[in-house]
Amino acid sequence: MQHDIPVDQIGPLGLPMAEAVQKCVHCGFCLPACPTYQVHGEEMDSPRGRIFLMKEVLEGNVALDEAEPYVDKCLGCVGCETACPSGVPYGELITAFRATSETKRDRSAIDKTLRRFILETLPYPGRFRMAAKLGGVGRIFRKAMPGRLGDMLDLLPAKLPAAQPLPEVFPAEGERKGRVALLAGCAQQVLAPDINFATLRVLAKNGIETVIPKQQSCCGALAAHTGAADQAKQFAKQNLKAFPTDVDAILTNAAGCGSGMHEYELWLRGEPEQAAAEEFVKRVCDVSVFLAKLGIVAPPELQTKTRLAYHDACHLAHAQKVKSQPRELLASIGNLELVEIPNGDMCCGSAGTYNIEQPETAAELGNQKARAVISTEPDVVATGNIGCMTQIETHLSNVVFGKRIPVLHTMQILDRAYRGEPLA
Amino acid sequence: MTTSSMHRPANIEELQDFVRASQNIRVCGAGTKPSLSSGAIVSTSGMSGILEYEPSEYTFTALAGTPLSEIRDALAENGQLFPFDPPLVEAGATLGGTTASGLSGPGRFRYGGIRDFILGVKMVTGEGRAVFGGGKVVKNAAGFDIPKLVTGSLGRLGVLVELTFKVFPIPETWTTIRADFRGLDTGNLAMIRLAMAQEELQCLDLEPSGRLWLRLGGLSAAVDGRVDRVRKLLQQVDAGVNVEVLSGTDDVHVWDDAREFRWVPENYQLIKLPVSSAQVVTAEQLLTEAGFESARRYSVGGNVLWLAIPESVGSDEVDRLCQQLGRPALALTGSWSDPQRGPRQGQAFAERLLTVFDPDSRFETAATA
Amino acid sequence: MSAEPDSASAQNITAFFAELSRIYSADRILTNNAQLAPYESDGLTCFRARPCGVVLPETQQEVIDTVRLCHRFEMPFIARGSGTSLSGGAVPIENGLVIAMNRMNKILDYDAEQLTAVVEPGVINLKVSQHVAGDRLYYAPDPSSGPVCTIGGNVAFNSGGAHCLKYGMTSNHVLGIKAVLPDGEIVNLGGDSLESVGQDLTGMFIGSEGLFGVALEVTLRLLPKPEKYYTLQAAYDSLEKAGNAVAMVVASGLLPGAMEIMDRLSMDAADAAIGAGYPQDAAAVLIVELEGTTDEVEAEMPLLHSVIEESGAYIVEAAKDDAHRTKIWTGRKSAFSAVGRLSPDFIVQDGVVPRTRLAEALAEIERLSGEYGIRVANVFHAGDGNLHPLVMFDGREEGALHKAEELSGEIIRLCIRLGGSITGEHGVGLEKRMYLGEMYGEDDIEFMHRLQHAVDPQKLANRGKKLPAATAPALLTRGAHPLEKQGVIFRD
Ligand SMILES: Cc1cc2nc3c(=O)[nH]c(=O)nc-3n(C[C@H](O)[C@H](O)[C@H](O)COP(=O)(O)OP(=O)(O)OC[C@H]3O[C@@H](n4cnc5c(N)ncnc54)[C@H](O)[C@@H]3O)c2cc1C
Ligand code: SF4
Ligand code: SF4
Repeated sequence: MQHDIPVDQIGPLGLPMAEAVQKCVHCGFCLPACPTYQVHGEEMDSPRGRIFLMKEVLEGNVALDEAEPYVDKCLGCVGCETACPSGVPYGELITAFRATSETKRDRSAIDKTLRRFILETLPYPGRFRMAAKLGGVGRIFRKAMPGRLGDMLDLLPAKLPAAQPLPEVFPAEGERKGRVALLAGCAQQVLAPDINFATLRVLAKNGIETVIPKQQSCCGALAAHTGAADQAKQFAKQNLKAFPTDVDAILTNAAGCGSGMHEYELWLRGEPEQAAAEEFVKRVCDVSVFLAKLGIVAPPELQTKTRLAYHDACHLAHAQKVKSQPRELLASIGNLELVEIPNGDMCCGSAGTYNIEQPETAAELGNQKARAVISTEPDVVATGNIGCMTQIETHLSNVVFGKRIPVLHTMQILDRAYRGEPLA
Repeated sequence: MTTSSMHRPANIEELQDFVRASQNIRVCGAGTKPSLSSGAIVSTSGMSGILEYEPSEYTFTALAGTPLSEIRDALAENGQLFPFDPPLVEAGATLGGTTASGLSGPGRFRYGGIRDFILGVKMVTGEGRAVFGGGKVVKNAAGFDIPKLVTGSLGRLGVLVELTFKVFPIPETWTTIRADFRGLDTGNLAMIRLAMAQEELQCLDLEPSGRLWLRLGGLSAAVDGRVDRVRKLLQQVDAGVNVEVLSGTDDVHVWDDAREFRWVPENYQLIKLPVSSAQVVTAEQLLTEAGFESARRYSVGGNVLWLAIPESVGSDEVDRLCQQLGRPALALTGSWSDPQRGPRQGQAFAERLLTVFDPDSRFETAATA
Repeated sequence: MSAEPDSASAQNITAFFAELSRIYSADRILTNNAQLAPYESDGLTCFRARPCGVVLPETQQEVIDTVRLCHRFEMPFIARGSGTSLSGGAVPIENGLVIAMNRMNKILDYDAEQLTAVVEPGVINLKVSQHVAGDRLYYAPDPSSGPVCTIGGNVAFNSGGAHCLKYGMTSNHVLGIKAVLPDGEIVNLGGDSLESVGQDLTGMFIGSEGLFGVALEVTLRLLPKPEKYYTLQAAYDSLEKAGNAVAMVVASGLLPGAMEIMDRLSMDAADAAIGAGYPQDAAAVLIVELEGTTDEVEAEMPLLHSVIEESGAYIVEAAKDDAHRTKIWTGRKSAFSAVGRLSPDFIVQDGVVPRTRLAEALAEIERLSGEYGIRVANVFHAGDGNLHPLVMFDGREEGALHKAEELSGEIIRLCIRLGGSITGEHGVGLEKRMYLGEMYGEDDIEFMHRLQHAVDPQKLANRGKKLPAATAPALLTRGAHPLEKQGVIFRD
């Protein structure tokens, strides 16, 4: 598509944005893949519309504040990228756009507070824990809270699992076949510490030693995707320093973090660390990708036949193009029947802070997903992202009453299988 | 039908002059569907002949007065046919008359009706203007689809002069299956099942007795297998159904007879009623209640009822039936004030278009639109 | 920007919107820049126009009320589906109203036994087939944009697809239409039977590119899904040989469901998009698909193979399984968009030539491409002789669009010269209006204008499209359209 974006005036992110716009041929193939378009059915809430809007804002034809509501509504699920035959790097475009526009935008007071609260809490496990605990208490005052803060509280569990400090090194079982570093993840550590431990045990079982660098910080994805470019850069730089280079891979077990870390090169465009970031990115991969490539020890057969619905986290399936590996791993478990969720490419509505910022759309998508999951009549649901887990769990309980379908991380499933525990 | 009262222009210029100089024009082809052309003043039978035929294009262009039989023979020489299986070919129907009446035969079940195969038209409108619409290639989205519009227009929009159609190859072999079901209900049920099935039938006709007629076309190597499958499907509806397979001239005769309406008793008037297979049983009940004699055939998977009634049955009776079924009807033979009966749809649209095709209401039947 | 339509004064517009807000809640009337900009163009981005508003109806009554209101205020309007038109057909009328049909996406009725479905016009083409797949039925017209485009858009353009050789286009699969005419009158055209009586008004409405009003409800004809598909890919060392192969298949008496050709450039693009895995050194690949009952298809297979071998194909490969077949078709169907990887802008042409002149047409396009120094990718419905040359250019280069349009024009004229059509399925839209007069005589064009006038004397419905009007073309991104400069088209 033709454009007049003044690339030179925008800075290092100008070029990638212009290139993305240029690649878009306005064909609309991304429309059916876009969750917000599904819900709202209007062009501004579609990938094609957003690309056009961003172009118009960059060209100076449309005021940023008019465009914001629609750019904000984007989940960043990049389902559109998978659907696009022309290869438009939508994820890069929206991240870059958010980074360049955040400084210019004029948020309302409540928005500012909320956003600051999010950005200063979620990326820090300690603070998040504190906030989450308060959340449990805050439930009592739910009615008195301004709408979206209240909605946010709803998503926090009433009771948090006990904090479990992670070791610095987790040794391999038996002969050591490799050594990796793991990103611990912020919210995940607080909400479901078991995921990390399950991951460590599964890796160990397969002869992998894991280091968990103490100096690591949040991956920065949350900051980047909400336009807090400086904070994102800080996190990225810190992680470049914190992670060792003498490991076989840098693993993530939260899809959102993984896709965030794959963007380090983009975030650090024009910074001295750009080259280092490019190298770093090459070593980052999802734990499922690493294990599938390695080839895992077959887990013992499950005692009872179990139907498992695998949910594709957007940040795995679309952003990292990881679809087959988790399925391969799960399929290696005997007596487990893997079922596909209809319309499985569609986002569940979780997407980072989306729940908090766009609660209605998030809820609609969550319900749609829950209904799709239930239609497969699973005993258990597996996915590779903590955000999706929370979202699907919440909406499953909204949609079905009575029977609880557990939602677990792929690594938790493998871990249980190895330990001979039932999944559901 | 006499042709003495008819004006038979030999070319488009003569036709244009005639139209410009006349009022109350009625158009006919060869006069095979008398009710549609009674009192005709102008016949297109003087403008006859195939103008272009390129077998590898699957298209031909012919003058409106060309007898279908002539075109059919030319096509057959090149292994091709009219996919919409026009009726009354032997009776002498012309291409223009068939188009203007919008008629297709039982074989239209497979690929579509006459409207689906018309590509282009040259016609003379009520102002005596020659208008060209559509194209001569198998696919064309330029301009308005005037060729489709004139299909079934009964001469109300003008005189068709030249027509282009799409054609298809003739299947290597034909086979007919006759299945005698216990009654109409079962026969109709079988018809519905077969229409939904993947058997790619060429024809699917039902007689009120419950006798179902099916026709397969294709490579001879596949025939036996396909017949077996159809037989099984028929038996699933009624295990005791009596199935007979006809091929060669037996097959040909079945459909020639259907196409030429040889089942219609002498002096009966023939009426076309578009219906749906869901209405077949109702239609039979209504006809029984109406109490007049009739011969019937449900063709095209129950999408059309060919109804033959004695001349004594009046138009009121037909109109009532149309009303009850919520369907329009077209009288092909007999004398009618207007051969088109029953409810009409889209009148507002039709009227607006008519002001352009025939602003001065030169075409007689147009006045009744 | 051009002036407001003469009929709608500023005062009128205020009153118009006041009335509009009685029909729609505020969130369904879009008026600010950010809301309007994304509706400015369709799949052909070199045309753009800013509407005065966009409404999002959810019921038929709302559409009817809107059209009546437009009629009262002489406000030009356009119904919009998914905006995938490749001819500028869905470009708004400058300062007119856009009626976005996307929320009218319900399947109202589905009768498997009668093989019919009644749908709202905003229903996505592919959704229909998905909806009825359980009964082994499908909706045959399969434009490459099927996962995106709407039935309303298909009706407006009489859209086709790869599988139209045997069963035809949209028009051959629509039994009935309920529509609101531009003056607010409601009409029911056709019905639910395959057969009908009287002039074919349904057929006339289809392909009218929105000039006859807005479709509210469409009755579709469904077909039993072919039991077996046999999909063959044949590679050729020249485009001409592939073209000739098509004629040979036709001459053999076979009637395949689809025959498609892709040239090297489009194969490269589709390969990059989905890893379709086309033969690396082939100049052209022909996709032929047989469909039908297993018995019949299996009997046809040897015949097809012998024809293809005789045609000089040097690699012949059949789809191994369903997944492989899907891949072949996904590659073919993403080709247009995938060309975005090769070039930032392109114009897709849609001319038709007689099948026997395919090879000639392709050779001439190649020559023209060389002469203009412009890359042209070819991917097309070979069985129908429906070409889709993709003329590539970079809109940021001075004069590039102009040159690309000139070349496109030459290709269109070539099709007319060879006895074909300027458009097979994408419609005339804005882009091909000036060529209509070269395909039809002046009288015929005047007749078409009169038909439009009879239905819509004020030219409210999709004004300025389809017919070579002397007024109201859309604005171009960059100043006056080259044809405008030459005085070929005008703006009022
Ligand atoms: C990548 C790509 C591939 C394509 N492949 C094909 C193909 O293989 N075959 C093909 O034929 N086309 C193809 N097209 C073109 C396009 O998809 C079709 O023309 C399609 O029918 C347009 O549908 P839409 O819903 O996007 O309509 P729009 O583009 O939104 O509108 C098209 C026209 O329809 C009118 N319209 C929309 N809704 C209504 C309504 N309810 N009532 C009256 N008028 C209405 C509009 O006013 C406009 O004039 C392709 C397009 C793209 C981008
Ligand atoms: S699919 Fe790709 S090229 Fe097409 S509109 Fe969407 S982003 Fe643009
Ligand atoms: S990232 Fe997701 S929500 Fe955003 S435009 Fe793409 S598909 Fe839609």
